[in-house]
Amino acid sequence: MVVERLRRFLVVPSAALVLVLTACGSGGSSTGGGLGSGDLLVGVLAPFSGADANLGPAYYAACLAAAPEINNNGGVGGRHVTCQKFDTRGEPADAAPAANQMVASNSNLMAVVGCTSDEASAVAPIVDKSHIPMFCMTGQSEFNKTKLPYFHRLVPADIFDAYGMVGWVMYGPNHSAWNKVALVFGDDIGSQSFVQPATNALQHFGKTVKNFAIHLGASSFRTEVQSMLAFKPDVIFTEALGSAGTYLGEVKELNGGQSIPFIGTSATIDPAWFKDVTGTIGVGDVVQYYRGVDLGYTFSGKAYEEFKANLQAAASTFADAPKYGQRGSTLHLYDGIIMTGLAMVATNSKDATVYNPKIKEIANGTSGATVVHTYKEGLDALKAGKSIRYVGAAGENNFDQYNNSQSGYILVKYDAQGGEVQVAALTPEQTKKLSDAGGL
Amino acid sequence: MSLLIAAFGFGLVSMSVIALAAVGFTMQFGITNMINLAYGQVMIASAFVAYYLNQARVSVWIAMLGGAAFGAVFSFVINRFVYAPFQGKGTALLGMVIVSLAVSLMISNAMLPIVGYFSVAYRERFSHLLRFGDIALSVNQIVIIGLAVAVMLAVHALLRYTRLGKAMRATAANPMLARNCGIPTNRVIDAVWLITGSLCGLAGVVAALDSDSFTIASGATFLITALAAAVLGGAGQPYGAMIGAVIIGLVTELSAAVWSPDYKQVVAFAILVLVMVLRPQGLLAKRGALAAAG
Repeated sequence: MVVERLRRFLVVPSAALVLVLTACGSGGSSTGGGLGSGDLLVGVLAPFSGADANLGPAYYAACLAAAPEINNNGGVGGRHVTCQKFDTRGEPADAAPAANQMVASNSNLMAVVGCTSDEASAVAPIVDKSHIPMFCMTGQSEFNKTKLPYFHRLVPADIFDAYGMVGWVMYGPNHSAWNKVALVFGDDIGSQSFVQPATNALQHFGKTVKNFAIHLGASSFRTEVQSMLAFKPDVIFTEALGSAGTYLGEVKELNGGQSIPFIGTSATIDPAWFKDVTGTIGVGDVVQYYRGVDLGYTFSGKAYEEFKANLQAAASTFADAPKYGQRGSTLHLYDGIIMTGLAMVATNSKDATVYNPKIKEIANGTSGATVVHTYKEGLDALKAGKSIRYVGAAGENNFDQYNNSQSGYILVKYDAQGGEVQVAALTPEQTKKLSDAGGL
Repeated sequence: MSLLIAAFGFGLVSMSVIALAAVGFTMQFGITNMINLAYGQVMIASAFVAYYLNQARVSVWIAMLGGAAFGAVFSFVINRFVYAPFQGKGTALLGMVIVSLAVSLMISNAMLPIVGYFSVAYRERFSHLLRFGDIALSVNQIVIIGLAVAVMLAVHALLRYTRLGKAMRATAANPMLARNCGIPTNRVIDAVWLITGSLCGLAGVVAALDSDSFTIASGATFLITALAAAVLGGAGQPYGAMIGAVIIGLVTELSAAVWSPDYKQVVAFAILVLVMVLRPQGLLAKRGALAAAG
């Protein structure tokens, strides 16, 4: 009896104390049911082995930079963010079990990042069904009008990369007229998605174009190269992830030691691609003959500096992390994780059905929203009761109704150290002309 | 027509690289009854050993010997400490295939933190291009063709004219009978792993040099073509593997020239399937060097 009374005596004020603490901790426009406790997890669902093993580390680096940005500022309602790799091997057959295992064994998943074109079709429905927001690095057109509400894409569809490359031919400075264009992409569906829009646009502008598909991962392409050289192209459009070094090396060898100008997709702005190609044709040739397209990153400003500092610090966990300081996907996914953390705080909810819609709102901003560039700025604004727009390390985001974010293209080159050098930017008018010419 | 002739030249290079890989692979199976799916990973591990030697200013041709030596020792160790204990316990052939697959994944994942996922290339990847009409071959490629011919002749001499070769053939035909006849089959098998491992290592370096650049993931590609040539020629038959390499090497390049590179793999594997349907034992089964010594 004494024990029972003592229990009541303790329970009533304890419950009141919990209520008070919860109310104090919620801040902002709380609509959710609390942020819970324990560590939160960001799943990096990407290839870490197999032919595209170079992709996963770039995304893992993004998470390793975002986690301290959040954790050093109080976490998500006190909960620390951690990162875990889930290897898809770049194969749908391996990716689906990896995704299932990830969602089944981790109830604390706050977001998933990665899901490249290798496996997005297989894993996106699984992650979506589990109501986990995901930020995918795929340009596949099937996601242009996706009905998956938890899917987010911070990079444009591949067709826009193709238009950007045509933009180099039409509007890029300091090159002779390029009238014959060879398209050298992998023979898989994802890689071939560049071909039709590029062909349409080039033909619209009166250029001669021919597709020379290659089987990515083959040990040599000599016959394919010989066939392509017989076409006598002025310029090559390519991506050929994992095979570009071999292909372009054989081009140089069979073309009498002379490289041909080549334009790469935004995915070729990548340390692994740079090393692959410079390894075979040399740094000098890459600097001289390479052109590329990329999204309009400034690599400056408060958000970028914060990202860069966190990325440098991540070297203690992942030595290669600082190499991804100018990789678009790393910047974007970093921003995606920060926005997710802010969305959770803004809704005071660990329930993704509640905070998922808030991500888009924080990315696009609403009328009168306060622009913030870091997690801390976002927290402070939310605590002050303001609505926010997060403009992060990769710049502004503008999600459409299908959670696809579009931004402008820049024309770039490499410097000898593998750094990106902006040569020009495509104006909105030029982009529209290219897009209209592509007709897709 | 000129593209066809050029493709024939490239086919000579491809078949040389495939032959080097396929002969070692098929000998492992023919003599030790082991379908070693880790073969491709040992190839790429050897290629990386040669790469590090090459980075230390050792010529790639000398580094190739280092790669071959590494392949020999590594294959020997894998057999002694993994395959042989399983085989000693009577693990079935299918079980051994799974074990070798596991070994392949273990090697791949153990190498990843060491070599990374970036492509690498040997310093001497470019050499002078020589033209013979429409055929254009670099000096490196001509050396590779010569090396393959020399190795094939050496394998022939080993199997036909040496005591070790005869012991290998006897062990392949009937290990128990060979043992009862006084042949030290365990030592013969050790020698087989050392010899085929060195072929594997050599093939890895040659394939990597021929590819201009390579990564840790290249091993799977190397394995598939070696496996296809070995099966086409008749599993366990070194001469069959040589013929298989010639067919696959030439057909892949010529089909790319005649039709489209899209069909390169399709045509090669269609021929493989056709041969398997018409002659399931492969082209040279029961007639090769490892058939019962007689």
